[in-house]
Amino acid sequence: MQRDVGSLPLAPALRARLVAAGFQTAQELLDTGPCGLSKEIGISKEEALEALQVVRQECHSDATQTAGAPGTSRKCTALELLEQEQAQGFIITFCSALDNILGGGVQLTKITEICGEPGVGKTQLCMQLAVDVQIPECFGGLAGEAVFIDTEGSFMVDRVVDVATACVQHCQLIAEAHQEEDHLKALETFSLESILSHIYYFRCRDYIELLAQVYLLPDFLSEHSKVRLVVIDGIAFPFRHDFEDLSLRTRLLNGLAQQLIIIANDHKAAVVLTNQMTTRIGQSQSTLVPALAAAVPAKEAAIPAGGHCPNLHAG
Amino acid sequence: MAPKKLRRARLSQELCERLSRYQITTCQDFLCLSLLDLMKVTGQSYRNVQKLLCKVSLACAPKMQTAYEMKVRRAVNPSSAFLSTSLHGLDKVLHGGVPCGSLTEITSPPGCGKTQFCIMMSVLATLPVSMGGLDGAVIYIDTESAFSAERLVEIAGNRFPAYFDSDEKLFSMTRSIYLYRELTCGSVLKRIKSLEEEIISKKVKLIIIDSVASVVRKEFDTKLQGNLTERSNFLARGASLLKYLAEEFSIPVILTNQITTWLSNGLAIQADLVSPADDLCLSEGASGGGKRESGSVTAALGNTWSHSVNTRLILQYHDLPTRQILVAKSPVAPFSAFFYTVEKSGFVLQDGKDQTNLTWEGTNPALQNIKMQQPVNAGQGMGALNPQNNRQVHHCAVHRATVNTRYKPATLHLEGKLSSELTLISEREKKPRAPAIRSFSGGNSLGCFLSDHWDLPARAGQK
Repeated sequence: MQRDVGSLPLAPALRARLVAAGFQTAQELLDTGPCGLSKEIGISKEEALEALQVVRQECHSDATQTAGAPGTSRKCTALELLEQEQAQGFIITFCSALDNILGGGVQLTKITEICGEPGVGKTQLCMQLAVDVQIPECFGGLAGEAVFIDTEGSFMVDRVVDVATACVQHCQLIAEAHQEEDHLKALETFSLESILSHIYYFRCRDYIELLAQVYLLPDFLSEHSKVRLVVIDGIAFPFRHDFEDLSLRTRLLNGLAQQLIIIANDHKAAVVLTNQMTTRIGQSQSTLVPALAAAVPAKEAAIPAGGHCPNLHAG
Repeated sequence: MAPKKLRRARLSQELCERLSRYQITTCQDFLCLSLLDLMKVTGQSYRNVQKLLCKVSLACAPKMQTAYEMKVRRAVNPSSAFLSTSLHGLDKVLHGGVPCGSLTEITSPPGCGKTQFCIMMSVLATLPVSMGGLDGAVIYIDTESAFSAERLVEIAGNRFPAYFDSDEKLFSMTRSIYLYRELTCGSVLKRIKSLEEEIISKKVKLIIIDSVASVVRKEFDTKLQGNLTERSNFLARGASLLKYLAEEFSIPVILTNQITTWLSNGLAIQADLVSPADDLCLSEGASGGGKRESGSVTAALGNTWSHSVNTRLILQYHDLPTRQILVAKSPVAPFSAFFYTVEKSGFVLQDGKDQTNLTWEGTNPALQNIKMQQPVNAGQGMGALNPQNNRQVHHCAVHRATVNTRYKPATLHLEGKLSSELTLISEREKKPRAPAIRSFSGGNSLGCFLSDHWDLPARAGQK
């Protein structure tokens, strides 16, 4: 209630007028009321009412935070966090070595970055994950949907069809071996058409479209609440050319990373990014490093050159 | 692809005027600002600014489609998803052929058959759909002046003798191949930008650029400061323009590339770390060219370019006259290799020998070792030539010679003797069709220029 007027999220011109008129705390505003406010500042009654509503909402959320109400605040004990994390599902990759390293699979509410040299299989892994997230719960999956944002144009529908067909066959084999009721019921809805219809594909041609799409993602995810995976294939590509202003690039990437973290947490989704490799010239040697390193805080899985990545569901 | 003006994003007129006072006229400028900046500039509250941001994003964001819709669209006209290469084994592995809507790159040492492949694909694209073609025109951007119309007609006549039985059919085929000779990076980029309208008016179904690497390497000397960023910018801009064209019109785009040496130790250039070098196409420095063993060359133009192309096919030598074609990078095909020879009718696969001699060099197409024909001995008799330029010279010279001699398998071993090189070149000058190669010697060094009207910019560093 003692919040300073200058920190309220009002329009800057309005804020300037309030400060000039001598208002200092939010409580003063609330006590004045809309009619008094409109007379003192010289704005219409509707505008004054709007401003007061904003102030009231701000103060209310402040109050719940300081009072420690468990519902709206974001603090909890480490034990609660541990329980939450253990109960969370993973998105399996069908490559047991990779799943072991990642602790069970790609984690929800976290950003995972995959970097590797061209042709090593990053897009393949992303396509695999987009299918794996849809596996029904009785088979150990998440029964979710996937958003695939493509900036490089290497998403091939035929390959996804191959992967999805193999996945369905795999689940059918499991169902035949175990012969349980819910397995068979789940298999009815888990078909090639349903898998493909739940992969939402966006093709972003430059960084502006990518930025715009990420701004719109929270609304999209609220509408499609079953989405559990967001894949951005090629986050480096649109930022690596036509950027003279490197500080702008860093700022945009950081902003993107922040938004993605918020999306991952709020909607309990996993975010997977793929990055390119570039050569860093050192004093006496050159090494291949991920491009745009350190811009995005993420869990990295680097696939080295010549590292034989076993064929996931080769069609 | 020009940045969208804010007016078209359905913002109110007064808001647009207010923003233009701060020089914010396009959606690009709007989306690049932070929320606090936006509040200051628009004079609106936090919640309103978020709503505005959503509105502008809606105007810029791409349309959603589900994978199922994409599959259905593909299934409606399946033949238009690929351009068959008429090489049966290769088509099977690639699930149909050269994919439409993405970039395909052919890389090889000089003289392996890149231009032959491109000429063959141009013939195939003009064929009717019933024969596996795309029934459309071809745009062929030639930077090395390697295209030969006679060879085109020869391939067409020998590969499809039943179809091209009359002169009329041959002429109509040649009429639908549009050849552009571009010799500088700037003109290539300009040409690519102008392609959008040409594709619609001429009903083009295939774009070939032969070759990207030659024009880039002529103009950008990576030893000089700043050239690296310009080069990456050019390549990236070219790649994204071509990808846009390929996807918009659902046509295949074929590019050719050259080779470079992969040095694992020792560097000869100083690159600024802000823009890290992504290509180790370097001169051998002080150690000389003789130490390079055959087999340690890889595709040129660096890592970023390797990321940009979607499919990469590598041609390499095996035992002459057999060569090998490798599928090094593809979203749908595993690593595979086929043997082929170049005949009168173009490429011919050797059946029964595919995949037995597969050498698994690792799955990184950017580092895939490519077998050269013979080690190029720069030490003997070439004097003070820069080995890198030397390779380029060989590149061009072999191309010219093979095309003009009606394609015999390349048994030309350029041993590096000054006299034999000169004879090769002067022989070419006798043919009136081909562009003239002028050679001149200054002391011990030999430099070769291609064609009179070629301006080499100063920064290329060639004398």
